Amino acid sequence: MATPQVHHLFHAPIADHSFSSDKKTLAVARENNVELYQQSGNKFALSDELKGHEKTVTSVDIAPNSGRIVTCSQDRNAYVWEKTPTGWKPTLVLLRINRAATFVRWSPSEQKFAVGSGARVIAVCYFEEENDWWISKHIKKPIRSTITTLAWHPNSVLLAAGSTDSHARVFSSFIKGIDTRPEPSAWGERLPFNTICGEYLNDTAGWIQGVAFSPSGNALAFTGHDSSVTVVYPSAPEQPPRAMLNIATRLLPLNSLIWNGETEIIAAGHDCEPFRFRGDENGWQLAGSLENKAGQAGGAREESALNMFRQMDLKGQAQADTKLKSTHQNTVHTIRAHDEANGVASSFSTSGVDGRVVIWTA
Amino acid sequence: MSQINYRTINIDALDPESSTNFPMESLLPATLPQPASASDAANAATQVRQMLRGGDPEGALRTVLDTAPLGGDDRAKEVHLATVIDVLQGIRQGEMTRILEGVCSGDGGAERADCLMKYLYKGMSSATPSSGAPTPKNVVSPQNTGFSQIQARNLAEGGGGGQQMSVLLSWHERLVEIAGTGSIVRVMTDRRTV
Repeated sequence: MATPQVHHLFHAPIADHSFSSDKKTLAVARENNVELYQQSGNKFALSDELKGHEKTVTSVDIAPNSGRIVTCSQDRNAYVWEKTPTGWKPTLVLLRINRAATFVRWSPSEQKFAVGSGARVIAVCYFEEENDWWISKHIKKPIRSTITTLAWHPNSVLLAAGSTDSHARVFSSFIKGIDTRPEPSAWGERLPFNTICGEYLNDTAGWIQGVAFSPSGNALAFTGHDSSVTVVYPSAPEQPPRAMLNIATRLLPLNSLIWNGETEIIAAGHDCEPFRFRGDENGWQLAGSLENKAGQAGGAREESALNMFRQMDLKGQAQADTKLKSTHQNTVHTIRAHDEANGVASSFSTSGVDGRVVIWTA
Repeated sequence: MSQINYRTINIDALDPESSTNFPMESLLPATLPQPASASDAANAATQVRQMLRGGDPEGALRTVLDTAPLGGDDRAKEVHLATVIDVLQGIRQGEMTRILEGVCSGDGGAERADCLMKYLYKGMSSATPSSGAPTPKNVVSPQNTGFSQIQARNLAEGGGGGQQMSVLLSWHERLVEIAGTGSIVRVMTDRRTV
């Protein structure tokens, strides 16, 4: 396994990160701003800053084709940033929410994006030509608490949302005039806006922190604060799911997950390292960590007695053991597919509280 | 009307949007077992104590965790907690790891591990010494006096409570080795309380 590429950008938490489609530009949410990094050689160097939010930026997403960047923040606003010859120009989005915006993602069609918020609504935003602005429609029912995470179905109509009411839900975000009618699937046939196509609660009921559709869109995985991953295979509209499999792990909670093909999930969280899960409709299990720990085993060097006593005198301990064995030195917040073809990610990227962005070979 | 002290009105109770009015029952999964009564719990207790006396501590622990009244009322849960603690105290230190490995493996083993973890935390938080019949302890005055009803820690009740605590702690240590930290996290999130 190749060693992961580590980019230690700064000593501050990264709320979210996103790569452009050519992987040369990296956007990270740092405090009230979004910083843009350009690749030069093996490194990423700061090239631009998107300033405009007044409170912590919670999420950022770069549309792969149009290159537009959408950001959202605890100041209850979202901006769409477009590159102009004079720099990045923000456009305010009319979110109409009275609590923090927590999560934003472009739909695969890039015609829409969805913003989750603490106001117990999901704002599905689209561009209105006549007035030249981004407006939103709200998905309200039956959300009972803050939306923490969102994921789009490949058809750009279905939207999965995880919430602090411990439910993962699948909604339709069909907007007339923007979307084409999706093909009927196991999630539903007729899909007017705000149709609830699925509502799932696992037995241990933790806050949901990450959701993802499988590449085909025919399965949904979610993870939450109960240290488990749940995979749902829907059967037909209005029917209970064909299979709902829960993998209760012995790990600390996982924050974010991606699918790698239809039979593999990669998830990371408070254990600071990514884990691989394998399975299908008949059962899922934890396959192990993606961290290559073998190379780090020889870390305990022989110390001279003088050095040991000097360290004990200075620091009260013989060896400073403040470094974790994992690549990330703190909680991982976001995991994203990096190089992806036909739903199989050959590499993926993670970012977290330690200010690092790491690119892993899957 | 002028006598109303508006400062003391609990506005959260009047606001349907308030987070204090969050419907907690919406967090209970559909797979929750039927409510069990205190007499069901007492029957289970008799059965389990018989197994324990008959020299089958592993079977006793397995049965007591499988019959946990997740959907029961407070009284049933109280009775069952006393049974679990009796079983835990009835198993010798040297046998703990072997029995735990047996109970936490096989079909439903992970659920039993999580269930045992819930009982360990509940046992450590409750003040009743498990020996003898459990007494209803939550004698809280019906009106809200505004004072928190913190119960005396069982350490203050003489040696019995302290010994029970040390038994629970050694079980906890061994269970974490088998079920990991994830099991502790699930005690906090799971609304199917024991």
